[in-house]
Amino acid sequence: MTAGEGGPVAEADPDRAPRGARILVAVLMVMLLVPGVVGFDVWPLTGWRLFSLSRDADQTRWVLEAVDDRGERRVVSLEELPLRFRHAEWPMAELPGASPARRDAVCLALLDPVVAAHPSTIELSLSRDHARLVEVDGEWTTEHDVEPFHSCGREGGEGGG
Amino acid sequence: MSAVPAAGWRNRVRSALDDALWGPETGARLAFVHAGLSALIGVRIVAGSYRQLADTPAALVDPVPVLGFLDRMPAAEAFVALQVVGGVAALAAVLRRRPRLAFAVAWVCYLVLAGLRGSRGKVLHNDLLLLWASAPFLLAPAVIDRRDRQARRRYGWPIRVSIVVIALIYFFAGYHKLRRSGPSWAYGDNMRYVALWGPSIGSSGWKDLAQWTGEQIWVSRSGGVFILGIELAFPLVVFVPRLRAWFAVGVVFLHASTWFLLGLDYWAWAVTVPLVLVDWPAVAQRARRRWVSGEAAEAPGDEAAAAAAAG
Repeated sequence: MTAGEGGPVAEADPDRAPRGARILVAVLMVMLLVPGVVGFDVWPLTGWRLFSLSRDADQTRWVLEAVDDRGERRVVSLEELPLRFRHAEWPMAELPGASPARRDAVCLALLDPVVAAHPSTIELSLSRDHARLVEVDGEWTTEHDVEPFHSCGREGGEGGG
Repeated sequence: MSAVPAAGWRNRVRSALDDALWGPETGARLAFVHAGLSALIGVRIVAGSYRQLADTPAALVDPVPVLGFLDRMPAAEAFVALQVVGGVAALAAVLRRRPRLAFAVAWVCYLVLAGLRGSRGKVLHNDLLLLWASAPFLLAPAVIDRRDRQARRRYGWPIRVSIVVIALIYFFAGYHKLRRSGPSWAYGDNMRYVALWGPSIGSSGWKDLAQWTGEQIWVSRSGGVFILGIELAFPLVVFVPRLRAWFAVGVVFLHASTWFLLGLDYWAWAVTVPLVLVDWPAVAQRARRRWVSGEAAEAPGDEAAAAAAAG
């Protein structure tokens, strides 16, 4: 504070954070603390629940199964597909509660890249892989139980499931 | 309990919190961290695989809330434009050409690009620590006197707030492990199975190491205790500055091992944390002093000069 002609006058302290900075920090703290404590995600607000669920020997994942013209089925890793399809497991995971049209749309969206990777594919199945890690004679192996959920063919959506 | 000690305790807490958020730092440190974060954002913008997302089928696009107005991925040209504008802005911020505006433009481009990458159904955290830790720098002082050795509050708050943000992020990661899985997340079989499933979670950088870690139960349990311990203890860096370098080393180890085991890309976290937590200009100054004093001591017959330099 300095005394001016008209009495004491407040002056901004040059060595302190400005008012705008204090407002920004208050907003940032609220946006960080509320989702952090409650645990919800509204990106870029997030609960930071990274790997927070314990893993065990059982794991269920959504996989792509390509069916070729001889009827043979093979699991196609998403890593074999272009980058834009690598996270397709998450849209697939929401299909049980989705409409048939939505299931077909997701299936057909994945059919083309699978056919490009495996040209003999005539049908694509979106399946759940119930996998289990088993230790046999000191070696860990994975047992798979693949459960088809929805399928579509090259001619269009001949959906099932 | 009398009122006087209670008031003293309250004052101490208030003073500690005030210092945590608004305490002083040197202009050199602020300029270094600002330039480092700008460079890091620039690298993430320019080197990121974004334009490959352009032809993602609409059925596989689920925009993050901040980009909820989009119903599909933008064209490749839009990705490239964002990368060019963001990259140039980040470079301008590093070179301190209109640093506040340049940093803001780079930060927004990075936010949009990271949001687009995360608009495929999965909540992605890879870019979020850098985005959050650098947010206080949006209003960092535009004029910095790097030669001013005096620590000042007007230079300190972006760094102090960034440290608090980082500490909270790691703490929340540990807090939700405790909340959702309990302490057995650390000492149970969880980490064993994380390592054994590792190659199926991502693209493990070193599959044999992941397998070995899963098979050695005490290695995987130690890893779990280390991760949960470092996350829950992270707020200590806010109040105990001498611990910051140790936590920075721990974080680099944590994210490097995450890449080896699971193939998950958290290198932006591993670079951001040491950049913000460690006072690199002070480290460089100490190293220079030691080097000068060592060189003087090695000079024949000049012990007095060495003593003076060490002085």
